[in-house]
Amino acid sequence: MKKANKIRMRETIVSYCFLAPVLIFFIIFVLVPMAMGFVTSFFNYTMTDFTFVGIDNYVRMFQDDVFIRSLINTLIIVVGSVPVVVLFSLFVASQTYEKSAFTRSFFRCVFFLPVVTGSVAVTVVWKWIYDPLSGILNFALKEGGVIEQNISWLGDKKYALWAIIIILLTTSVGQPIILYIASMGNIDKSLVEAARVDGANEFQVFWKIKWQSLLPTTLYIVVITTINSFQCFALIQLLTSGGPNYSTSTLMYYLYERAFKLSEYGYANTIGVFLAVLIGIISFIQFKIFGNDVEY
Amino acid sequence: MKKPKLTVFNIVTYIILTILTILFVFPFYWIMTGAFKAQPDTIVVPPQWWPANPTMENFTKLLIQNPAGKWLFNSIFIAVVTMLLVCITSSLAGYVLAKKRFYGQKILFSIFIAAMALPKQVVIVPLVRLINFMGIHDTLAAVILPLIGWPFGVFLMKQFSENIPGELLESAKIDGCGEFRTFISIAFPIVKPGFAALAIFTFINTWNDYFMQLVMLTSKDNLTISLGVATMQAEMATNYGLIMAGAALAAIPIVAVFLIFQKSFTQGITMGAVKG
Amino acid sequence: MKKKVLATLLTCAMAVTALTACGGSDKGGETPKKEESSSDKTEITWWAFPTFTQENANDAVGTYEQKIIDAFEEENPDISVKLETIDFTAGPEKITTAIEAGTMADVLFDAPGRIIEYGKNGKLADLNDLFTDEFVKDVNNDALLQSCKAGDTAYMYPISSAPFYMAFNREMLKDAGVEDLVKEGWTTDDFVTVLEALKDKGYNPGSFFCNGQGGDQGPRAFFANLYSNHITDADVTKYTTDDANSIKSMELISKLIQDGTLMNGSQYDGTADIQNFANGQTAFTILWSPAQPGTQAQLLEASKVDYLEVPFASEDGVPELEYLVNGFCVFDNGDDAKVEASKKFIQFICDDEEWGPKNVVRTGSFPVRTSYGDLYDDERMNTLATWTKYYSPYYNTIDGFAEMRTLWFPMCQAISNGEKEPEAALKDFTEKANETITKK
Repeated sequence: MKKANKIRMRETIVSYCFLAPVLIFFIIFVLVPMAMGFVTSFFNYTMTDFTFVGIDNYVRMFQDDVFIRSLINTLIIVVGSVPVVVLFSLFVASQTYEKSAFTRSFFRCVFFLPVVTGSVAVTVVWKWIYDPLSGILNFALKEGGVIEQNISWLGDKKYALWAIIIILLTTSVGQPIILYIASMGNIDKSLVEAARVDGANEFQVFWKIKWQSLLPTTLYIVVITTINSFQCFALIQLLTSGGPNYSTSTLMYYLYERAFKLSEYGYANTIGVFLAVLIGIISFIQFKIFGNDVEY
Repeated sequence: MKKPKLTVFNIVTYIILTILTILFVFPFYWIMTGAFKAQPDTIVVPPQWWPANPTMENFTKLLIQNPAGKWLFNSIFIAVVTMLLVCITSSLAGYVLAKKRFYGQKILFSIFIAAMALPKQVVIVPLVRLINFMGIHDTLAAVILPLIGWPFGVFLMKQFSENIPGELLESAKIDGCGEFRTFISIAFPIVKPGFAALAIFTFINTWNDYFMQLVMLTSKDNLTISLGVATMQAEMATNYGLIMAGAALAAIPIVAVFLIFQKSFTQGITMGAVKG
Repeated sequence: MKKKVLATLLTCAMAVTALTACGGSDKGGETPKKEESSSDKTEITWWAFPTFTQENANDAVGTYEQKIIDAFEEENPDISVKLETIDFTAGPEKITTAIEAGTMADVLFDAPGRIIEYGKNGKLADLNDLFTDEFVKDVNNDALLQSCKAGDTAYMYPISSAPFYMAFNREMLKDAGVEDLVKEGWTTDDFVTVLEALKDKGYNPGSFFCNGQGGDQGPRAFFANLYSNHITDADVTKYTTDDANSIKSMELISKLIQDGTLMNGSQYDGTADIQNFANGQTAFTILWSPAQPGTQAQLLEASKVDYLEVPFASEDGVPELEYLVNGFCVFDNGDDAKVEASKKFIQFICDDEEWGPKNVVRTGSFPVRTSYGDLYDDERMNTLATWTKYYSPYYNTIDGFAEMRTLWFPMCQAISNGEKEPEAALKDFTEKANETITKK
């Protein structure tokens, strides 16, 4: 017993030595700012002021129209993109995973291209594509007889958020497709064959066998896509600045605007705390729903 | 095994895949061709599908009127240094989390997992304060240092480290191998693929981490290529040729890295998700 | 056992040194400027919005600014100036970030709207000592001098000023047969006629741009002229954007947008709209100033656009123009030597016998110092100079101005998209805008 403890103690020392480099950075640049953010969210903290105001910032937040609007937009983006990303990548993966290595690799590259092109490069090219005057989208749609007048894709409330979601989708499916291709390759073929022999149709095979084994991957995809959708920032900052009339403003962007345009640091941190809690809760729920029978 | 048949379903699938391929490749194509169009050619209607008068003007302007070379260097410097530091620290941490039993292990790992979901952006204001307090705002270090304690890296390396056979470590111990030697000579060769995957992963992520760069860097000479392109597009809103040239410079290195290391990269993504 | 402990310690030491070595090296590479400043040379940084136009259309941004610096450094070998150019879209956020991070420049070339706000927040050095009797007498314009101050404290040292107005594409006007309508003293009815004629010919209209704050003075002045309404009352104590005439103006704008004779500008900010015009893509822009032909020289040259400059149309034919005051402020970064050097530098830019007038010309505006006289001697600038009689009360230094601007463009977007009725939107805006005055 004593010996075991001693060994454990020694292992602990060794382990923390190995962990030290990560821990130092993690504490300084993640935990400390988190604590600072939490504390200052109770302060009226601006360029000139730093006074304790209790939960005033939180009260203000829930009464702030623009905040509510940004929250709704954020949720629309998440709800709009997550299922599409899952279905889309499931479709592409299921159509390509049995193909030759070359084909697989080709499609992987195609769908990963927007990710590696980089958020800023993708954003500026879409800005051009969407440009009401010189953009190719208006031209193509007019030629095709779909629309008659130029449409201001990013300036029109009806389209702006969807225009952003579409770009977000093109940059979000790359990783899920790779994941699905890999995990479809790992499905136990004998089980599938056995089910077919037993007379199961394709749908049953998919639902009963393939889907079950894809569940952990799906959970992971849902979680990372959710987090990515929450983080969507460059698109909004560079394309619409949250407009028109905050119809594309997200929590992330609103936080940025409050902090770096209006110097309301305390209030911005309040939004940050809210965002962190929200993401925590959503991730937790997703784990609960999808993770029921998944060992993760 | 069934052979692929030419059913209606298959044909529809092929058509859809072709359309999607075009949609996904088009923005990249538009960057690359746009970069060679002179300013008046970028705004003509109908648009030029292929540059009618290809010109290098945009690139010369980019490199002469803007410190684009410096931006590219900064981007590469930030990405490479961050990559090295993240890989080294994460593999050390991942190794012990997977292979050692020590006090506080469970809770530590849970904290890492929880922090993985937390985007850095939510703590950005205090982070800027902190960086300012350290006196390194507007230096490349301000972008690099906060990225090092990256929980995902630790998680990924832990997954890879699970593959290290315990017996190997035991026998190394019996042979009188020190802890660090054991790590270098036994563990590291086994987690090497993970190391490579994490390296590429970090490289791409850091390269594209626009938000962090935006709030940490201000001087024109200290910008990264993405930030530089973003600044340019604010300055000359409609000079699309020039902006595309910048976008091309920002995209090419990273696309190249991806194409060359595709295999490691795919493996890295997969290992991060599915328990090894 | 001992050996193992030793090995462990060694491991830790190595890990730590590897880390600090890496961290140290990149820091060392990036902060040489701090070491330099320890010598007896005072180093100051100058952040400049692109207000100076370059001498040649192909010169890179900042070329002319660097020439001023070279001349100044020659005269003042003990001071060195580092130039940083910023733009109107991302620049303001950059400044806010830099102030928060304590890395703000020493000298900023901007306009009162932001500068006075920084002054009120205690970030600036006061420049009262630059406002000498000689200077005040030379400027001889109380409204202008007051625009550089918050109360009695001067925060901005002005160099030049110019009105904002609009510009049309002359060829398009000719083609539509309405060129003769577009002239000084034209009315809102004329304006609507012109827009319709342009639309009939299939030209893209200019936009009521409102994507962000960049250039928002243009749409505001355009709006305030249509029915001779006013943004603020005559004493600049409150916003009056919800009176009957204001509502009428905004209703007209909303109708023009619906008719397609004015573009919904939610996607464009001032820079983009002006560039669309200079590219020959749109028929007019509601933000133009004497300096624009210089600023947009490259585009104008490429597109061969011939611009026609005209004050905003108004109901009675008497326009009221907003104006720009270009000037410098000095950030108080806690180092008196730098503040002194900065003051010296801005005085050099504005008052040097050789460079002062030259710099005014490069801003494309009119000197604030009357003693500089007529610097341009061409017909265009002489005409524009007479428009100074249309100047309206200057409200950019009102308390809470910066926050009002963040309310303005979302309101315009809401109206442009038909999301809100002009009356309700203006009422709501005015109420909130008036709150910003008393808030602090």
